[in-house]
Amino acid sequence: MQCLRGFLLVLAVSLGGAPLHAQAPLKVVASFSILGDFVKNVGGDRVAVTTLVGPDGDVHVYTPTPSDVRKIADAKLLVINGFGLEGWLPRLLQAAGGKASIVTVTSGITPLRLGSNADPHAWQSVANAEKYVANIRDALVAADPPDADVFRQNAQAYLAKLAALDGEVRQAVGQIPQGRRKVISTHDAFGYFAARYGIEFIAPIGVSTEAEPSARDIAKIVAQVKAEHIPAVFLERIGDPRLIQRISAETGARVGGTLYSDSLSDEKGDSPTYIDMVRHNIRTLTSALAN
Amino acid sequence: MAAQLQFRDVTLGYDRHPAVHHLSGEVGAGALLAVVGPNGAGKSTLFRGLVGILKPLAGTILTGGIDARDIAYLPQTADIDRSFPISVFDFVGTGLWRQTGFFGGIGKEARAGIAQALAAVGLSGFENRGIGTLSGGQMQRVLFARVLLQDARLIVLDEPFNAIDTKTSADLLALVQQWHAEGRTVLAALHDMDLVRAHFPETLLLARGKVAWGATAEVLTTENLAEARRMCEAFDDGAAACAVDVDTSKAA
Amino acid sequence: MIYDALIAPFLEFEFMRRALAAVVALSLGGAPIGVFLMLRRMSLVGDAMAHAILPGAAVGFLLSGLNLFAMTAGGLIAGFAVALLAGVVTRNTDLKEDASLATFYLASLALGVTIVSVKGTNIDLLHVLFGNILAMDDQTLLVVAFNATLTLIVLAVIYRPLVIESVDPLFLRTVSRAGALAHLTFLALVVVNLVNGFQALGTLLAVGLMILPAGIARFWSRELTGMITIAVASAILSGYAGLVLSFQTRIPSGPAIILVAAALYVFSILFGNVQGVVRQLFPAPHLEA
Repeated sequence: MQCLRGFLLVLAVSLGGAPLHAQAPLKVVASFSILGDFVKNVGGDRVAVTTLVGPDGDVHVYTPTPSDVRKIADAKLLVINGFGLEGWLPRLLQAAGGKASIVTVTSGITPLRLGSNADPHAWQSVANAEKYVANIRDALVAADPPDADVFRQNAQAYLAKLAALDGEVRQAVGQIPQGRRKVISTHDAFGYFAARYGIEFIAPIGVSTEAEPSARDIAKIVAQVKAEHIPAVFLERIGDPRLIQRISAETGARVGGTLYSDSLSDEKGDSPTYIDMVRHNIRTLTSALAN
Repeated sequence: MAAQLQFRDVTLGYDRHPAVHHLSGEVGAGALLAVVGPNGAGKSTLFRGLVGILKPLAGTILTGGIDARDIAYLPQTADIDRSFPISVFDFVGTGLWRQTGFFGGIGKEARAGIAQALAAVGLSGFENRGIGTLSGGQMQRVLFARVLLQDARLIVLDEPFNAIDTKTSADLLALVQQWHAEGRTVLAALHDMDLVRAHFPETLLLARGKVAWGATAEVLTTENLAEARRMCEAFDDGAAACAVDVDTSKAA
Repeated sequence: MIYDALIAPFLEFEFMRRALAAVVALSLGGAPIGVFLMLRRMSLVGDAMAHAILPGAAVGFLLSGLNLFAMTAGGLIAGFAVALLAGVVTRNTDLKEDASLATFYLASLALGVTIVSVKGTNIDLLHVLFGNILAMDDQTLLVVAFNATLTLIVLAVIYRPLVIESVDPLFLRTVSRAGALAHLTFLALVVVNLVNGFQALGTLLAVGLMILPAGIARFWSRELTGMITIAVASAILSGYAGLVLSFQTRIPSGPAIILVAAALYVFSILFGNVQGVVRQLFPAPHLEA
């Protein structure tokens, strides 16, 4: 009799405890803000996401801090972009150790080339973003099987939103007259966007924010803008805005506004989520190129 | 003779080991005073205090109302940057600071004055040479030329005859004597005892404090010189803090 | 052909004309300062200053975000503080200029890094603060021109006491109190030129066009005004040739200008009138007297 009661008690406690255990959110670390946004959308409240490179940060040239080491050591899953974006990551991983599994969200995507390197900004094409989300969903399911259904449902809903977004962008570009679908931008981060949606991005500097243009590079761009009647130049969040303004002044091209490429803004800014970011970008582009 | 300079219990130095302890005394107007002592006796330090470069740690130095610009100071050449690209003419010309200040031009009169000063020290024709091309003796002459131009009432010379040949020393010494004859007050730190005995009526024998001060013959005795050497070699980190005491030795 | 290479780029493109104007202004102001820096053994001060201004830029960023004006103003304040503190310490202690400047700029840099980390952003503030000669807008050109004018005027005013203070500081202290004023004013001039130069043109150009021309001038003249003239001329020449080089090749403009200046420097070491290596190997026959 005592034995049975004791056994039932233990059973009750362990059954009662199981949901408690499953409710501790999965600790995930994302390398930068855009990936963090994806993870939040797929994981919902089943994940606790921290991001290494926060809003307005520059993921190309980030210097990790000791608190980043701790974050990684405590995490179960690490979500990174790959394609050479996070050059600072291998050493950080070595320092942190930990037992996190790593998912590279670009797996399965064929990279475009930029100079002699791969272009890391694959998320600029919404179709690629859908692949990112799928990879994240699969990684979350593998890391936290009890919540697999939640993840799959969230992912499905989010993927639908992304598909709709992709359609929005195509439609918006369709309304720009064919001859006006080219822009100048300091940051060569829109290769995938250009390839998918058909707007040509011409830039004076290479992929990262480090390289410096020569006078010949600038002269070629000025000449091209004038020759091909390129309607607009765009500022980048990262990089020297004065260079763009100089090109605009010299060619008469309109300064279009700011395009977001490598990071989201904080909550008060105008692109706190990926979908907001893409919408902001396409709206800015169309209004600059439309007339 | 009216006192031109008064040293009232002056202590001068760097850190806690003063180079000059509790010096008191007077220098009359128009005096020609040699300041002698072994190396490390504090002669340069005393002069720096006198011309205002160094503030005394204690005590005061009174200069009888002489304006700072009426003092001509001849520093040791070690303190001058000989590699600086300045000509002899311009360097000597800085002696006219009193007249020219920041902006004053160097007019015909001033040029003549500079030429005269160079001639007086035997360096006519050296106007355009860079100071880096001069020998030790020539540099010393240039410094004297500058002092000449300054036309000051109080002249302070720090080891003016160091490392120069006898002919130059003789020429420059003649200048010193001329200044004395003109009624200027001249102090010179010197090493050459024979020269001091021959040409300087008054002497202060310094060995971080006053050993003797007065007529040269009375000051430069064997006992005094030995005493000076002994005092200079005392440098004790464990020494007690110096108690203030009034110096009652005789003054000029 | 020569016309195409040397003149046409400037006629055709406004950004080239502006870059040339900026380089001329920078040479007029910076080269004379560079000569004094070299003579006073402060040639590395540019590097020190580039780091010393960080806390000022950081505070400007904290208060006003990525506002270049605020960050430059902050940088100026930090630069002044470091330069003047270093100057005061040099004047009143045994420590020489290089050591006192080194201690203060390191402290300043550490403070700056701390401020930036506490705020939690990883934007390389200094990178944002440093500009590019191909991006001269009206405001920046005005700043550079203003610098040059201010520098020339102030240098003319403090010229005499600065020279005396450099060659025989003890003498100056006995006849005037102008020495301290001249010294500190000179340091302030250095800061203004450097900080505004960084912001307009980047560190490489701002410092390079100060120091390299001074080094070049040393091999051609024994006399201060000659040195300053040659320094200004070689700075302008380097700027012009560098821009042409950057226009014809893929070399970025700042490095191109400095590479030309460096080539001139090597040429001067070999063939200069004053202590050039070749002259020393093959001296002219000596004179009778």
